[in-house]
Amino acid sequence: MINQRNACRTKIRFKFYKKDEFKYLSHLDITRIIMRALRRAELKIEYSLGYNPRPRIVFSPPTPLGIESLAEYSDVLINENISGQGFKKKVNLQLKSQMQVIKARKTAIETANLMNDVAVSLYIFRLESCYSDRGILEEFYKTMENDLKKSDFSRAIYDLGIEQGRTGSHIFFLKLFGYAKIFKEDNNEFFKFNDFYKYFTSWLKDYRIGVREVKKEELFVLRENMLKTPMDVA
Amino acid sequence: MKEIKRLDFSLLENILKGIEKPGRYVNSEVGTKSKKFKQISDFYDLVFVALVFPDIYEVGMSNLGVQILYDIVNKNKDYTAERVFAPWIDFEKKLRESNVKLFSLENRIFLDCFDLIGFTVQHELLYSNILNILDLGGINIKSEERKEDFPLICAGGPAAVNPQPLSKFMDFVVIGDGEEVIISILERVKVCKDKNRNKGWFLKEISRLDGIYVPRFYRFHYYKDGRIKSVEPAKKVKKASVKDLNNYSIVRDPVIPNIKTVHDRFAVEIMRGCGRGCRFCQAGMIYRPVRSREAKSLVRQAVAGIKSTGYDEISFLSLSSSDYRDIEYLLEKIASSSKSNRISFSLPSIRLDSLSPKLIELIRSGRKTGLTFAPEAGSQRMRDIINKNLNEDEILDCIRMAFSKGWERIKLYFMIGLPFETDEDITQIISLLKKIIRVARDQIAGNKLSRLKINISINAFCPKPFTPFQWVKQDSMGKLKDKFDYILKNIPGRYVNMSWTEPGKSMIEGALSRGNDRVGEVIEGAWKSGSKFDNWTDHFKLHIWEEEFRKAGLDIEFFTTRGFSSSEILPWDMIDIGVSKKFLLKEYDKSKKCLQDQDKI
Repeated sequence: MINQRNACRTKIRFKFYKKDEFKYLSHLDITRIIMRALRRAELKIEYSLGYNPRPRIVFSPPTPLGIESLAEYSDVLINENISGQGFKKKVNLQLKSQMQVIKARKTAIETANLMNDVAVSLYIFRLESCYSDRGILEEFYKTMENDLKKSDFSRAIYDLGIEQGRTGSHIFFLKLFGYAKIFKEDNNEFFKFNDFYKYFTSWLKDYRIGVREVKKEELFVLRENMLKTPMDVA
Repeated sequence: MKEIKRLDFSLLENILKGIEKPGRYVNSEVGTKSKKFKQISDFYDLVFVALVFPDIYEVGMSNLGVQILYDIVNKNKDYTAERVFAPWIDFEKKLRESNVKLFSLENRIFLDCFDLIGFTVQHELLYSNILNILDLGGINIKSEERKEDFPLICAGGPAAVNPQPLSKFMDFVVIGDGEEVIISILERVKVCKDKNRNKGWFLKEISRLDGIYVPRFYRFHYYKDGRIKSVEPAKKVKKASVKDLNNYSIVRDPVIPNIKTVHDRFAVEIMRGCGRGCRFCQAGMIYRPVRSREAKSLVRQAVAGIKSTGYDEISFLSLSSSDYRDIEYLLEKIASSSKSNRISFSLPSIRLDSLSPKLIELIRSGRKTGLTFAPEAGSQRMRDIINKNLNEDEILDCIRMAFSKGWERIKLYFMIGLPFETDEDITQIISLLKKIIRVARDQIAGNKLSRLKINISINAFCPKPFTPFQWVKQDSMGKLKDKFDYILKNIPGRYVNMSWTEPGKSMIEGALSRGNDRVGEVIEGAWKSGSKFDNWTDHFKLHIWEEEFRKAGLDIEFFTTRGFSSSEILPWDMIDIGVSKKFLLKEYDKSKKCLQDQDKI
C-alpha cells in the first residue's frame, strides 16, 4: 500500500456561517453536509489508517439547534497542495447560500484540536424592550448584570457587555461569553447554552423584554492570556 | 384562478420553537428541483403537484420512488412538484394549535393550493396518516364531498394495488409504474386548468389510461355475509408498466437530505421485478416482468451520481440485487472508477444462494456495509411451500463465507404464521439459528468472538393481494403470540438480537391489505379516534382498530383468519396486475402439494 502520508499534505482551517434554514440543522448534520460538499468539490481528504478509516476533519464545538452562527470552524487535512482562497472558492460552489465559507487558510499540520482549543464563545442577543427612558434602561442593565453573575451560570459567563443597537433605541446588544473550557475542566461539564437561554428569557420576561435574535458571533482561543480567534492563531 | 398561499418563513420559525428535529420541516437541501417562486414570472400558470409520503421525512426521503417522480415532474417546464411528509406528533400539535395548514417543503405552499396531491403508499399501516395529512391540509377527506373542488387526490404504490380500502378518499388510484403515467395525468390536469374543465371530464379522460382506477366508476354489490356478489363494470384496469427501464435515466442528482435519514446514501435501481417466485411476496408478483438496466450505462450514470452528490455509499436497489446479471461487473467498474473516493456498496437484498466469493470481496472493498439475508423459514418443507428455493447447505455456506471474509454481524429475516405451518417448522427456525451460530463461531477468531452478532427480525405473515397466498387464512393473534413466545423462550440468547412485529399490528395490516371498500369507514373511524403512525409500535393502538371494525359492523376475522374461497370475487379483482388469477391459483395448489417450482417468466 502506498503511504498516503508521503503525499503533499495541507491542513486547511476554515470558518463558515450557518443561518436561516440551516440554523435548524444539528452539529452532526452540518458535519455530514460539509463532508459531502468537500467530496463534491473533489478535494482529496485524508483518511485515518486502520480498520475503520475516518476522514481527518474536526469541527469547533456545536452550536445549539435553532441558533444562527457566524463562527463555525473546521480543520481538514487534504492530500494536495491547495491555497485557502482556492479551497474557499471550490467549497462554496458546493454549499447553499445559507451556509458558506467566510475564510479559509493553510495552517500547520500540528495545530491544536479545535474542539479542545476553543475557550470562549461569544453570543449576541438582540433585545427588544418597551422602555425608552434611559434611566430605566441603565437600571435594568445593572440588575441584569448582578442577577446573571449571581445565577447558576455565573461561572459560565466570562464577560457581559451592552451596546446600543443601530436601528433605534429599543434594541440593545448583550454580549455573553460562554466560558466553556475552564468551566469544563473545573466541573467536567460544558456550559449548556440552552439552559442559560431558558433562564435568561424567563428573567427578561419579568421586565417585558423579548429576545429578537440570538447569534453565535465568534469563538476564541486563549494565547498568553489573550483572546484570539481561531483564524488569528492559524 | 386559485390563489397560491404560502407560509411565511418567520411564521414557520415561530412554530418551529421547541420542535424535535426542526430540519425535517425546512427546505433547502442540495438537489431540490421545484420551480422557484421568485424566478418564474408565470409561476401561477404551472401545474402544482404535491408528492406526499405519509411518513416522517427521514423515512420518506429514503424512498427512491419519491425521488424518481420528483425528478420526472420537475424536468417538465409546465409542472412543478413539491414534497410533503407527515409531520411528527409534536409538529402536528403545533400546527393545529397555531391554525396553520400543512405545507410543502420547497415553497411552503399550503396543501390545499395544489392542483394534484399524490400519495406514495408503501404499506397499509400508513392509511391513517393519509387521512391525517389531508385533514391537516384543510382538505375534506372524502372524495364524494369534495365535489368539484381541487386539488385532485390520488394514491399509488404497493399498498394501493388493492385500491378498495382507500376508494372513499381517493379521486383515483394509480396502479403500477408511475414514470409514464404521471405525465399523462399532468397533461390532463393542465387542460383542466387552462380550459376550465371539471373533475368529471378529467376523471373520464384519465380512466382511459392504463393504470388508473377511478373508484366512482365502479359499483360493488355484496352478499349478506360480506363477500362480494358482483362488480360493475366488468372492465378491468390494466396496470401501468414501463417496458424498458433504460428509457429513464437514474436520478443522478437526487435531493440530498440535510438531516440524517434512514438510508443516507446514493440509491440506484438496477432492476425492477424479481425472477424468483416466492409465493408470499407481493412485490415479486406485482412488479413483473423483470426489467434490468443496462450495466454499461448504469456504471456511467452511477459514477456521475456519486460525483454530483458527494455520497460515500451507493446502494443497488432491486428485489434481489445479487440476481442482477452484471452485478460483479457493476461493482468492479464503479469501485475502480472512484478508487480515491472510498465508496462503500450496499446490496439490500442478497439471496443466500447467489453471493459469490467475488461479490463479497467487492462489497468488502469499501467500508463493510451490513449484510442482510432472508432464509424466511427454518425448515426445508416450509421453504419449499413458499417456493424460496433455497436449501440449508446453501444458507450455511453463504453465512460461512460472510464470516470468513471478516463480517462480524449479519441480519436475518424470518417469517412465522406461513400457510400450512406446524410446530415443527417453528422449532426448525431455532435449530437453523443454532447451526448458523456454530458456523459463524468457527470463522471468528477467539478474541473477536464477543463482537459476533446475529440480528434476526421475525415478522408475522400477512396474505397480500395478487400473491399465490392471497386466499390463505392468516394465523390468529393467539396463535402468533404462542409462536413468538416459543421462539423467545428457545432462542439462543448469546450472539442473537431479535426483533419482531406485534401480532396485533400484523392482524390489522392483514385486514387492511385484503380489505374491501367498507374498510374505508374503519380507517376513517380509526383516524378520527386518534390513530396515526400505526407502523410505529409506540403509536399503534389495537383497541381503536378493533373498536372501529366493530362499529362498522365488520369482523376483523372475515378479512384475516378466514380462508378466502378460490371462486370468490376478491375486492381487487377489477385490477389486472399482469399475473393471472389462474396462475396464482396454480401456484397456490403447488404449494399445497409442497412442490417446488422455480418459476421464471
